[in-house]
Amino acid sequence: MNITLNWLKNYIDFDFAAEQLAEKLTMLGVEVETIKQLGVALDGVVVGKVISIKPHPNADKLVLCQVDIGKKDKLQIVCGAPNVHDGMVAPVATIGTELHSGVFIKKTKIRGEESYGMLCSENELGISPDAAGLMELSPELSIGTPLTEALGLDDTVLELEITPNRPDCLSLIGVAREVRAETGNELKHPQIELNESDTEIQDITSVTIDAPELCPRYAARIIKDVKVGESPDWLKQRLESVGIAVINNIVDITNYVLMEYGQPLHAFDYHKLNENRIVVRCAAEGERITTLDEYERKLTPDMLVIADAEKPVAVAGVMGGHETEITDSTRDVLLESAYFSPSSIRTTAKTMGLNTEASYRFERGADPENVIPALNRAAQLIAELAGGTLCKGIVDVYPGKREPIQITLRPERVNFILGTELEATEIEQILSRLGFGIEMVQQEGRDQEVAPTEDSVFQITVPSFRVDITREIDLIEEVARVYGYDNIPTTLPKGDIPVLVPNKLTEVRRRIKNFLLSSGMMEAINYSFVHPNCFEKIRLSEDNPLRDALKLQNPLSPEMSVLRSTLIPSLLNNAQHNHNHQINNIALFEISTVFVQDKEPARVSGILAGEIGDGVYGNPYKHPDFFDIKGIVEGALEVCGITDYAFKLTDEPTFHPGRNAELLLDSKRIGILGEAHPEVLENYELPYKAYLFELDLNALAGATDFAKRFKLIPIYPSIQRDLAIVVDKEMQSDLPIDIIYSTGGKLVESVKLFDVYVGDQVAEGKKSLAYTIMYHSATETLTDKAVNDLHDKVIRKLNQELNAELRM
Amino acid sequence: MKEELEAIQTEVLQALKQINTQDQLESLRIEYFGRKGKFTDVMKGMGKLSKEERPILGKLANEVRSSLSDAFETAKTELDCKQQEQQLKAESIDITLPGRKPTLGKAHPVMQVLQRTEEIFMQMGFQVVTGPEVETEHYNFDALNTPPNHPARDLHDTFYLTDGHLLRTHTSPVQIRVMENQQPPVRIIVPGKAYRVDYDVSHTPMFHQVEGLLVDRHVTFSELKGVLVSFARQMFGAQTQMRFRPHFFPFTEPSAEVDISCTVCQGKGCRSCGHTGWIEILGAGAVDPEVFRAVNYDPEQVTGFAFGMGVERIANLQFRIPDIRTFYENDLRFLHQF
Repeated sequence: MNITLNWLKNYIDFDFAAEQLAEKLTMLGVEVETIKQLGVALDGVVVGKVISIKPHPNADKLVLCQVDIGKKDKLQIVCGAPNVHDGMVAPVATIGTELHSGVFIKKTKIRGEESYGMLCSENELGISPDAAGLMELSPELSIGTPLTEALGLDDTVLELEITPNRPDCLSLIGVAREVRAETGNELKHPQIELNESDTEIQDITSVTIDAPELCPRYAARIIKDVKVGESPDWLKQRLESVGIAVINNIVDITNYVLMEYGQPLHAFDYHKLNENRIVVRCAAEGERITTLDEYERKLTPDMLVIADAEKPVAVAGVMGGHETEITDSTRDVLLESAYFSPSSIRTTAKTMGLNTEASYRFERGADPENVIPALNRAAQLIAELAGGTLCKGIVDVYPGKREPIQITLRPERVNFILGTELEATEIEQILSRLGFGIEMVQQEGRDQEVAPTEDSVFQITVPSFRVDITREIDLIEEVARVYGYDNIPTTLPKGDIPVLVPNKLTEVRRRIKNFLLSSGMMEAINYSFVHPNCFEKIRLSEDNPLRDALKLQNPLSPEMSVLRSTLIPSLLNNAQHNHNHQINNIALFEISTVFVQDKEPARVSGILAGEIGDGVYGNPYKHPDFFDIKGIVEGALEVCGITDYAFKLTDEPTFHPGRNAELLLDSKRIGILGEAHPEVLENYELPYKAYLFELDLNALAGATDFAKRFKLIPIYPSIQRDLAIVVDKEMQSDLPIDIIYSTGGKLVESVKLFDVYVGDQVAEGKKSLAYTIMYHSATETLTDKAVNDLHDKVIRKLNQELNAELRM
Repeated sequence: MKEELEAIQTEVLQALKQINTQDQLESLRIEYFGRKGKFTDVMKGMGKLSKEERPILGKLANEVRSSLSDAFETAKTELDCKQQEQQLKAESIDITLPGRKPTLGKAHPVMQVLQRTEEIFMQMGFQVVTGPEVETEHYNFDALNTPPNHPARDLHDTFYLTDGHLLRTHTSPVQIRVMENQQPPVRIIVPGKAYRVDYDVSHTPMFHQVEGLLVDRHVTFSELKGVLVSFARQMFGAQTQMRFRPHFFPFTEPSAEVDISCTVCQGKGCRSCGHTGWIEILGAGAVDPEVFRAVNYDPEQVTGFAFGMGVERIANLQFRIPDIRTFYENDLRFLHQF
């Protein structure tokens, strides 16, 4: 909401400059978002009067004007505007002025004739887009006055952000009340004097409320014989300065009073109301109305409407009807001022997709006690500015009158919550400046006459405009904000520190993340929403439960319409994005929850693709392969203290059928890894291989053991034996390792595969595997003979079980 | 014979000066001290000498041998040194060639800031807890004192799922879940993702929040200020000023929006802070009694405060990224900057 400084001063006195006022209001919770000086680019522009015109000797379309700007010498100004005429009062940009467009006015010659300034259009002054001709000013303006002053533009606009709990601040009087809380100065309410005619309003209209729950109060006045027309300049300027469109004097007045009081009003053309009366009721099934914006709208029975004897004439509290609106031919006006139930207005406005100044206020909560003052104020202004006569009296139907809210406030509770040491008298003063009624409740053994103390209890009466205050805590906030949050002490908590429960998942996440970072992978974060086609793009099988992703009802776009059940598509997207930008050293990982049915398991996923490394001399790029991604998975398991796992080839369609694995822990799959299937690469337009993994962090957290215990460092020397065997090419390289361990038992310290060979030196269909075995005993130095015997046993066993031939 | 010995000494000392290699040195040694060497030859004449001459010349011969032996040793050492020098010289490299740097991974900038935030609050005894991102209306709104039709719901443009659930619009629902399962004292922070229907240069539909909650028998608004001032000083520097402005949140009362002195101009006023000198960084307040009632805490027996901040916003005070959607493109040229 916008207000202006000068307008606000109509309702309260204060000496603050705009910036100071903004600061005060902001610190009271009425945030001032912007401060804008009106008419800043109008310095040097004054009111001038054209006193004579003669043709330009050298140009058909130009004229020479003699212009009076209140000085002794008249100015000669060359002008080409079509509407310039003798006696015209118009803005003159004098020499030395810089207009908002950047044009600098200096003495100049136009087609050989001297020109000492410029007569301006609204467009040239930045007031409106109107560039059709000179801005015509009222002939009553005093010649030579600065234009800002003449037009009331020497004012400052403050843009306020009013929080949804403070509808009482959605008006100038409301903001003035906040200023009162700060300064203690009294409010200056508009003086209302009404000249009523003899015509009794009851004789010419009636108001019936059929839905008192939704409309607790409805009041009307009638003004006869108005002249609908333009509003006076001051009124137009006021409304325009706060961004309200000017319509006609009647509507402008209702808007002006809306800004003053925060009470929405509506004016009906009295004669267009069937039977000239008002019925407030819910819409009937199938009823329709064409609203002021000329849209025909369907009404439903939960919507409150203002109707005449026959049909709806307004959507209550939201927008008036087109048919009964004020037009140039309107003679008599029925003016509505009402209070509607906030939730009803809100539902209707939301259903209709309409957000009007009226609905905005009603749905947050207007003040039922404001209905009559605002109605009278508008009636007064209409009578004054549109020349009507006011019928006698008000129709005021008020079935929903409520008693003011009473709240008990304990001053010690104020200090308990805030950590302050406020005196009861300070609290009392703050609340009374905010308009609360305060009564000290007599405590046992106390005399009511004594000044309030911290032990007193206040009985607070909440003014009707403060719809947000219903509880003691609400009052405590009022005290806090007026006292000033900055004045509340700053201390550290004193309470006990709760017992911290260690969280294995957090620790697993942390360790794996650190490991992946130290492996040279970059951390990515992707949106949780993906395109539903991503499951197709990574070739998930038809029956894969991951395809059953949660769908958004209101997605931003198809690309963001389902919740991801796997991180792999996101990382492939990232690879594609980077590749499209010529970045090909793709090593990314992401740690995030995913969404699988009603669970949110935690996952870590990674991708290696393109060229890994920095590609400098001595450290060339390296194309990653399966074993890079496998090594990363193994490292991640190691930092979690997990050793008892297995890899097994799978038939997951996402991957190359011969280059993938599932990670098994207790024969349960807890992860997958592998080379992306060529079709997957094609789907993401990647010209090179990509290696992916995804692990279940919850499973890892469940299996991990971070406890570390010391193991004796070997005392006796280890003995090394190397062993090369020839086996079938298809045989897995870990089978011999298992046999070596099981055969050698405790004496085998470690087995390491150090070479794999396929080629001329071995037979077709065979390969050679070379292992280093470390033999070691914890209890003695092993003799050569003991080792040789054991080693031979290993060789025999390998031969028996795997048909492995010793390679000489 | 004496002359011969002296001549040999002079000759050898002279010759040693010309020696450049170990081979030459060895040849020279053989030439004089080898089996047929000149010195050996001279010594062979020793037998012919008279009884009187023999000890005198014998002594001289020993002196010559010993001094020449030292000279050979010295020459050898010198040659060794020279040779090593040459070898080292030959081995020198262009140290401006690139180092073989282990590739360095980097945490996502938002995560770096989130982690720092967690660390600061953990030092103040806050425990990190997390909660679900798919939520119910109850936890996301109702239990947080935001009933249906409450205008505050307008502030959150919510993503709904087709099954009636929603994506949490803030991490605050975790407050409720924790309080439902734990008696006070509660001292937690909740980092995590939140979602709102918003997509422009300063909004992403998914963003990160850190929510904090402290509940105990007597927690005051002044302690809320203390915790947040302490956080701000550690996060943004010891000189950071903090300002608490009254605001409205349905789940806190009194509520505050909290500003820090502008990190660009130190509060003097600049474009970044809209010439106010202040930058809003979080929302906070005393826990509303209705929230306590929703979790069966007695608001007369416990009080508390809560706060919530946007991690991207805090990250961007430092990084000043003109379009925060850049955070989630995962462009490696971007990620490598942090």
